[in-house]
Amino acid sequence: MMASRPSTQRAARPRCARRLLATPGRSAAAITLLALAATGQAADWQLSLDTRLVSSDAASSFMDGGPGTTRFGRHDSGLRLGRARFALSAPLGELWSAHLDVSAWDDKDRSPVGVTEAYLQFRPYPRAGYRWRVKAGAFYPPISLENRAAGWESPYTLSYSAINTWLGVEVRTIGLEAQLDWLGTRTGHDFDLGLTGGAFGWNERAGTVLAGNGFMLHDRQTPVFGRVGPPGGAAEPFQQFDRRVGVYAGVEARYLDRVVLRVLRYDNRADPTKLDTVSGAIAWETRFNSAGLRVESETGWTAILQWLDGDTSIAPPPGLQLTWPFRAQFALLSKRFGRQTLSARYDRFEVNSSFGDGSQSGHAWTAAWLFEADTHWRVALEWLRVTSHSYNRADRGGPPLATETQLQLALRYAFGS
Amino acid sequence: MRPPARLHRTGAGARLAGGALALLGALGAAGSAAGATLLITVQTPDGHALPGAVVTARPLEGQARRVAPVHAVMDQVDRAFAPDVLVVPVGSTVEFPNSDAVSHQIYSFSAAKRFKLPLYRGTPYPPAHFDQPGVITLGCNIHDEMLAYLLVTDAPYFGRTDAKGAWSAEVPGGRYQVTVWHPRVRDQPADLERELTVGDADRTDLTLHLAKALQPAPIADRPHSWDY
Repeated sequence: MMASRPSTQRAARPRCARRLLATPGRSAAAITLLALAATGQAADWQLSLDTRLVSSDAASSFMDGGPGTTRFGRHDSGLRLGRARFALSAPLGELWSAHLDVSAWDDKDRSPVGVTEAYLQFRPYPRAGYRWRVKAGAFYPPISLENRAAGWESPYTLSYSAINTWLGVEVRTIGLEAQLDWLGTRTGHDFDLGLTGGAFGWNERAGTVLAGNGFMLHDRQTPVFGRVGPPGGAAEPFQQFDRRVGVYAGVEARYLDRVVLRVLRYDNRADPTKLDTVSGAIAWETRFNSAGLRVESETGWTAILQWLDGDTSIAPPPGLQLTWPFRAQFALLSKRFGRQTLSARYDRFEVNSSFGDGSQSGHAWTAAWLFEADTHWRVALEWLRVTSHSYNRADRGGPPLATETQLQLALRYAFGS
Repeated sequence: MRPPARLHRTGAGARLAGGALALLGALGAAGSAAGATLLITVQTPDGHALPGAVVTARPLEGQARRVAPVHAVMDQVDRAFAPDVLVVPVGSTVEFPNSDAVSHQIYSFSAAKRFKLPLYRGTPYPPAHFDQPGVITLGCNIHDEMLAYLLVTDAPYFGRTDAKGAWSAEVPGGRYQVTVWHPRVRDQPADLERELTVGDADRTDLTLHLAKALQPAPIADRPHSWDY
């Protein structure tokens, strides 16, 4: 019974409210484009088209409103659009730059094209070994050590880890971030250190997908102020109605160009009793700790470990308190052979609940081969198997335990400045 | 937009010119006086040769010959400085062309020379003048993985070790202070100084054995599009 609460509160918002919500996203994109047009300096741009040949035995995917844990369900087998993407970066004067990332996925989103990131960055010169960086707009907080390629993609696999899939679906900084770096490697040391702090709004609904569906492994990023999936069963995390500011703080340590360690505490500080007067949606208070370690060698090996532990809560009237603790980890091992990259990843994930509903536990294996034929063409082959036990699947009338296997062959063409 | 092919040629030629100029600096100094060959070899703790180490030799007695300043080039190609280490005599000028299609923003906050070159492509700035001896660490404020060193020296004899870890110069007889520097060497600077006498023999050899293992080399083949 209680499990239905989050999903019924995820009802479609009235059209006028949707327009209002979409306005800041469009404004951000428009401001960025105007700023780019106003500067005489040349922008760097990139356009790419990623197509997939898919074979899957998974349940209908989240993007189709189903309980599947992969990007494509069994009804999606065949030729699919992976992602069409346009990105623009341009200097604005000497120390500022503007960045815009726009994509289309051919899913049942609110709009066919969405902005995944749009921000301004201030990057003054280092002084005496220290440097500030400030970002304003919509962008990813510095958590993932896997999504290091253009467009927040992974250069190791097509599907992101469970942790980073969730970040792509429900977490974005729509606000400000400041970072202070100590550039030790520029002053004769082996280490660099960085402190990051962020303040953000528009994410009262982060956490609903974990409670309503659990962890997944795919590469669908929710557009800023956008929606992934059909109305009523979708991710629509970027909403603001409790007037509270979320915060995060993190530390990053680097050993030369070999090792990166990141630790971050995130709290959206949502008021879990607050209801949106227009849609009836409730605010989800989502807090987590994350840590990650990436080690690289000069022989082409990369190892990544990431860990996430947190909870998400709502407190609907009359005085209920519903909490879903969640945790996930993954280990990835990858080896580069010239233009080819072979990777294997093991994921574990778990969502509990204070009352039984919405719980999920599972693990996944991913194996991928990526071949960068030249600067334009990339071929990738990925095998993904997810085994999970999910209350939400049982709640929809299916067996709670499922093993889902997805095979993807991807061909991407990219060009730009 | 790709830069015109002319820029690439300029970049490659300029790199060669930079190395040749540094070499000429050493040879020019050496050519002024007849004497013995000073041969310095640098070895890592496990006995391997250390190529690319900067060696300087200063006479401890008498008036040292001043080396004429040079005009050298530190290029930027494929989001890396080229060369990774450049050694020039005091008073030299260095040009920092950008042969990449992307813009770079070069800086140094080293005590020997603080400077910055606002965002640019091509060669829009005049060469920078380096009138203080010291190690200058160069970085790009856009691409943190870019790192290079400029050594400005007041020593009359200097150069970099070859593939066999060796550097040599023709020097007059007398006592010399020899120093070795390399960005990956962890030994203390005081442990990288030697004094020796160049006597009547045709050749004076010195092998400097490092005590500490080298810092790992930067990862060379990581795709540029990845976050550093």
